This record gives sequence, C-alpha cells and structure tokens, in this order.
Amino acid sequence: MPTQAPPKGIGAAARWARRAPLLPALIFTIAVTQLPFVATLIISFLQWNSLAPENRGFAGLDNYIAVITDPNLRSSVLTTVLLTASVVLISLLLGLGIALLLDRKFRGRGLVRTMMIAPFLVVPVAAALLWKHALYNPEYGLFNGVLKWIFGESAAQPDWISTMPLTAVIAALVWQWTPFMMLILLAGLQSRPQDAVEAAFIDGATGFQVFRYLTLPHLRQYLELGGLLGSIYIVQNFDAVFTITSGGLGTANLPYTIYQTFYQAHDYGQASAAGVVVVIGSILIASFALRAVSSLLRDEVK
Amino acid sequence: MSTITQAKPRKGSWDRKLHWVATHSIGIALAIGFTTPIVFVFLTAVMSDKQALSSNLWPQEWHFENFLRVFEKAPMLEYMANSLMYSLLATLGVMLSAIPTAYALARMKWRGRNAVFLLVVAAMMLPPQVVAVPLYDMWINFGLTGTLWPLVIPYFLFDAFSVFLLRQFFLTIPQDYIDAAKIDGCSELTALVRVLVPMARPGIAATALFCFLFTWNDYFGPLLYTGENKGNWTLSLALASFRGSHQVEWNLTMAATVLIMAPAIVLFLFAQKSFVKGITFTGVKG
Repeated sequence: MPTQAPPKGIGAAARWARRAPLLPALIFTIAVTQLPFVATLIISFLQWNSLAPENRGFAGLDNYIAVITDPNLRSSVLTTVLLTASVVLISLLLGLGIALLLDRKFRGRGLVRTMMIAPFLVVPVAAALLWKHALYNPEYGLFNGVLKWIFGESAAQPDWISTMPLTAVIAALVWQWTPFMMLILLAGLQSRPQDAVEAAFIDGATGFQVFRYLTLPHLRQYLELGGLLGSIYIVQNFDAVFTITSGGLGTANLPYTIYQTFYQAHDYGQASAAGVVVVIGSILIASFALRAVSSLLRDEVK
Repeated sequence: MSTITQAKPRKGSWDRKLHWVATHSIGIALAIGFTTPIVFVFLTAVMSDKQALSSNLWPQEWHFENFLRVFEKAPMLEYMANSLMYSLLATLGVMLSAIPTAYALARMKWRGRNAVFLLVVAAMMLPPQVVAVPLYDMWINFGLTGTLWPLVIPYFLFDAFSVFLLRQFFLTIPQDYIDAAKIDGCSELTALVRVLVPMARPGIAATALFCFLFTWNDYFGPLLYTGENKGNWTLSLALASFRGSHQVEWNLTMAATVLIMAPAIVLFLFAQKSFVKGITFTGVKG
C-alpha cells in the first residue's frame, strides 16, 4: 500500500500539501448542499410571509401544526404517498416483466429495447402534455379515437382526467418510469452467474423455480436500487401534477402544495415546514419500500 | 458446455416454436404500446388544422410545414437559445465542480470521507422545492431572479447526482494506477487529470449526458426563477404555455412538442451505450 508508506511527521504535511488543490471542492460540497436545508429548517420555525414582512418572528411549531391540521395539506400528504407508492410498485413490476423478456435472445431485441427506453427520454412536461391532450382528450385524444375505431361511432367517449384524475397522473408517470426500472433490472439480470442457472436446469429445475430461487434473490439489490431512486424522484414530482390536473381534483401532492404556498400565498414559513415534511416523508417511504422489497425476498433466500 | 446450453429447452420443437411466437409477439406488442403515444404526437403534428381536432388517428394529408409554422407563432429560436445556454453552461459547470469532488470521495483517503459521501446522498434525496424558499430569497438579494443564472451558477459549485454517479465510476478504476502515478511524483491533482480522467472518459460522458438531459427537461427551476420574464424562458416553459395561447392549433402544439423531444432522443441514439451504462452504474457497490 504505497499511499500509507510515507513516515509520520513530514508525511502528514506533505500529504495535505498534495491534497490542497482539491479541498475547495470539498468545502463547497458541504456548504452548498447542507446550508440551504439548514436555512429551510430555520425558516420552518419562523412566521414569515413576504406580503407582510413586518410580522416576521419566531413561530415555534405553528407552521408544522398548520401543515398537519390544514385539510388541504393533509390530503396532499396522502396523495403524495399514494402517487409515489403506486408508480414505484407498478413500474417496478412492469419493468421486471419486460427485463425478463429482453434478457432472452430474439431477433429485434436491440430495437425493442431502444423503443422501450423512448418514454424515459421525453421531456417530462412534454410527456405530461402528451398524456393530457394527445391521449386523454375526450374529443381528439388517442384513447377515445381507438375506442371509436374499434366500436364505431356509438363507442363510449369518457372524459378520462375528470373521471379518474389520480389514475390518469399515475398512468402517465408509470409510462415514463417503467423504462428506467427495466434498464436497472436488465443490468441485474445480465450480471447473473450463468453457470448456476445452467446447473439448476440440468438438475431438473423448472423455469419458475430458477426465477424464484436464483434470479429473484440475485435481483434484490437492483430492485432496491430502482425502488429507492424511483421513490426519490417521484416524491419530488411536480411537472405531471402541475400540467395534467393543475393540482385539482384531489391530485395536489406536496411539492405542488409547497409551490402554491410559496409562490401564490407567499407564506415562506409554512412552505418551508411543508418542505421539511416532504423530506421526512421521502425518507420514510424509501425505507418502507426497501423493507417491503427485502422482506418479500428474505423468505425465499432461505 | 455448448451442447449443454443447446440442450436446455429439451422439449419438443412444437413447444419451442410456441415459445418463439410468444416471446416475439409480447416483445412487439410492448414496444408498440410504449412508443405509440410518441408516434401519435408526430402524426398529429403533421395533420391539417382541422383534422388535428378530430378523433382521427392517421393524417389524411401530410403537412410537414407545421414544424416551420411553430417558429412563426412563438420566438422558438430564442427559447431554444435559452435552453441551450442553461444546459450547456450547467454541463460545463458540473464537469469543473463534480470531477474533483468525486475524485476526493472515491480515491483519496481522509478522515470523514464517508460522512461527506452520506451528505452527498442526502443532498441527492432533497427535493428542489424544499430548499427553494431560502435559495429564492438569496437570489432576490443578488438581484438575479428573472434570469437563468440562479439555475446555472449552482452547477459550477456542486451537483449531488453528478458527484454520486462519477464517484461510482471512479471506484471501478483500480487504485494501483493512481498509486503508480503518485510514486512517480504526481500530486493528487495531476493524478486526477492525467490518469483518472482519461480512464473514466465513458463515465464522464454519461454524467455530462445526464446533466444535459436533466437541465433540458427542467421545468420547476425555470418556472420559479424566470416565470414572469418571458425573454428568459426555456423551451419546456414555452411549451406549457404554447397550448394556452394557441388553443385551436392543436397540431402546432404537437409540432412544438416534437421539436422539444427531438434533441434528447437524437442525443440518446448517438450515446445509447454510455446512457445505459450510466443508469446501471448507479448500482455499483462501494
């Protein structure tokens, strides 16, 4: 280990001299990542509305109490949990199925993979607009167009967004996130030790047994990763809710509510408190999702 | 070995044919299902004004000039220039700030390294809306709200996801190379620039690609800081309002959507390998 070789005394000074050029980057890292959050924490305990700046002062837990008791905010907490959990779970399951399919060799596999990734590349606002207008629109949307094409002029022409608003948002997000999950799981499948699989087949294992006792335990790490990253980003989702329903019809999630509190009501203190709640919530959801996935697998590893 | 692999299906050829048909048809159905929405956007974009508002699925006439009409309806070139400025400057900034930080986290030995890495992961999990309040207040004091600078400048200091991704890449490059360079008298900085950066080029490319896509896609940031100053709008903001001001010309809204989606998809087709690598590398342990 040559790095540990230099003798003590001169060693320490020389080591720091060599590292010096990289230190500014590190100091920035700490300052830039953590200070804004500390500021948010502090503001969350203040009474501060930019429309009434003279009333600024310490508010104690008032903002948190407001966040928890306000029925709008409470329902947006519930919506966030529901939205995140269903998008992560559905896109993980779909992604797993597609990854298993793409793990087999067949002609056109590369093309299918490229086409599958496409939704992930669409600018999220464009994707949200696309779902809202091109697919869901009752008069010229694709869904009702297909219904007409199949069942003729008398086909039902539902207004998708107003009859099932949250489902509409979830479907759009699942469409965008399934390719991401699929890619992570496909990487997991392709790093699976092939000889163990072959040995199992020779010993007479069925395809399902191989999946359950070999593939699934191996994929655990990748399922966890997909669940974690997915939760982080979907808890933060703003574009889809803002575009598809403008937060109406009970689809306002916490990021949207924070935006409203901050940008329209100018209540900095309450927006910050809601922000802190989002962070705590995403940590909770992420760890819950992780535990759910690993407990599913733990039984089967035995 | 190969004979064993070939013997794997072991069942009748009828089974194998059925299997072949099943795999192919599911594959084709999925590929079509996931891409149809995008194709439909393109088809609507080239329909005539009237047909776009019907429930027809296939254009009767192909109006490719719709793509040009979009530029007449809105200052698309200006928005595009703003988007490009934001994405390119941010990507440049990330390269300058995240590479040294990731190196310090992956390949330098110092006390507290793991704690700092945890802070980086924590920062990655922090939704942008959460820190928006103090940051917005700070940028008001600097007099920079209404411009894209509040979005660009932070990338010259730090970006958690890029640092995370680069660290994962740097970990895959053997320490021996860096140790050897140091024995030859290199400082940490020279070891980074001369040894690690050339070896980690695919990882750096993937990180740059992600940063470009992320900023190109960003909607919340530009909405917050430039929402009231139309001259500094990015494409994503312009697209969302295009629909509002050109209600009837639905085909043009879709043509604008195609124009905004195109760069990301073209970029992906050229850099598919490093893109896929980038996603899978987030899972490297260490």
